[in-house]
Amino acid sequence: MHNNQTFAEIFRASGISRRDFLKFCSLTSVYLGLSPSIVPQIVQAMETKPRTPVIWLHGLECTCCSESFIRSSHPTIEDIIFNMISLDYDDVLSAAAGHQLEDVRKKIMQEYKGKYILAVEGNASTKDDGVYCMVGGDSFLNTLKETAADAAAIIAWGACASYGCVQNADPNPTGAAPVSEIIKDKPIVNVPGCPPISEVMTGVVAHFHTFGTLPELDRMGRPKAFYNTRIHDKCYRRAFYDAGMFVRSFDDEATRKGWCLYKMGCKGPTTYNSCSKIQWNGGVSFPIGSGHPCIGCSEPNFWDKGPFYERLADVSFLGTDSNADRIGVIAVGAAAAGAAAHAAVTAVKKAKAGKDSEDKA
Amino acid sequence: MGRIIEEIYVWRLPVRFYHWVNAICTVILLVTGMYIAAPVINPPLGEAVWYNGMSWWRYLHFATAFIFIANFLFRMYWALFGDDKYARFGGFRPWSPAWWGKPFREQVESYLFLRSDEPNYVGHNPVAALAHFIFIFCGSTFMILSGLAMYGENNPGGFSENFFGWMIPLFGGSYALHFAHHLLAWIFPIYLIMHLYAVFRHDVVDRTSVTSSIVTGYKHKVEEEPS
Repeated sequence: MHNNQTFAEIFRASGISRRDFLKFCSLTSVYLGLSPSIVPQIVQAMETKPRTPVIWLHGLECTCCSESFIRSSHPTIEDIIFNMISLDYDDVLSAAAGHQLEDVRKKIMQEYKGKYILAVEGNASTKDDGVYCMVGGDSFLNTLKETAADAAAIIAWGACASYGCVQNADPNPTGAAPVSEIIKDKPIVNVPGCPPISEVMTGVVAHFHTFGTLPELDRMGRPKAFYNTRIHDKCYRRAFYDAGMFVRSFDDEATRKGWCLYKMGCKGPTTYNSCSKIQWNGGVSFPIGSGHPCIGCSEPNFWDKGPFYERLADVSFLGTDSNADRIGVIAVGAAAAGAAAHAAVTAVKKAKAGKDSEDKA
Repeated sequence: MGRIIEEIYVWRLPVRFYHWVNAICTVILLVTGMYIAAPVINPPLGEAVWYNGMSWWRYLHFATAFIFIANFLFRMYWALFGDDKYARFGGFRPWSPAWWGKPFREQVESYLFLRSDEPNYVGHNPVAALAHFIFIFCGSTFMILSGLAMYGENNPGGFSENFFGWMIPLFGGSYALHFAHHLLAWIFPIYLIMHLYAVFRHDVVDRTSVTSSIVTGYKHKVEEEPS
């Protein structure tokens, strides 16, 4: 561990030129949505502030967040990220294992009490004391609570830690719960997505390091810089949406022409993320760019809002084959049938009453 | 045969105005809303820059929605400050057990054919008042709040987003709110069927000219002539 090293020192030690270092600072400011006038501040922070220690825990998850994170696409970003955040504990990436590694976690928790960032990938099972996710001989639920107690802030990586993802999709057999439902007394940044975009992940870390505060969050605890607008708002196929030009099946002419995937169940209009801005793998593409509708992976409970290839979700408690329109049509039909039946009874009663009065007369 | 013995001015102009603007807006909103959810018109071949198929439907939906909201607020003003005894909220007290008492029970029994005579009200009967509260007041309020929240998504940081954006986390995300907006839109056609049926039936049974009253404003009291 290289304690108290600054980023600039590490950059120099790794043989990265100052020019590249300044480039990195500028790119970071762009990704954070900051004005160019902030760049000197970033440079200064990177040069003077000691690296922020990070404990990165893995719970119920698939490691796709880590996979995304290590593909952050700046020049030499892999090296930079590994060195820059002083990733002191990460049970997936660490060279050490077993008790050695667990000791490191305890040491960091003591040495940097109240100063380290807790990054959580995945969520915790809460049912039966959390036995459905055991890490290092203890339940992940306990590890999470223990490590969160002295953290400065928590970053909830991905849909799992932010909202629950597939683990807490209906019927949620292990009682999986997102970080925000387990830890209530710490600032939490939700970075949803399955996985989140790598530059979004590094951007959040860089923001914390630069300013010492969490980035500005929206109503759902997500950094506004990356989750302020919907995929739909910045989608390059938006013109086809507004024109009413939609793909109707995956083998039609419109598909080849790259029209809007709205009718193929694209969740872009209801999904807040940066895919259509930053894109993936260094700006190579993103799902819609590759011809697939957005499945809304950075939105809460997206697994329960399927099918992925239809606009309107199924209502699960009424069976897999019912959606809002079927319920509506049935209800309208029932109302019409009820009115007709009521009218018939009224007519019969009236006829009878008329007869009665005639009889009396 | 009967004889009209009295004309009662029930629905004053603001009420009739609200009713028809609301009726037209609701139909347009329902049709355009369903179209936005499932755009069925086949796209023309060509370039996107030539067409505005979807944006036109959305424009119509939003423009009508703002007329609907203004009209709703106007009706609320009239209900609270209009000094119109047939249009105010005054008599509607569902929180009080007394309101659910005899008049309400009698009206329900009448609708269920459990009594032969029809209670007669000049304005809304208690069951009608309850139906309007649920479908029109609560239904419109929900559609307006959820609609404005979703409209705010087009302009993050704008007025609609700042004041109504809280609806989105409340429903657990944008998709869930869209779904609720879509599902609850169906209460309006349901209401329409019940409303038209009830009006026509009352007109036939009570002969109060309730159907034409929403155009003219006048209801009639009819005296049975001994045959």
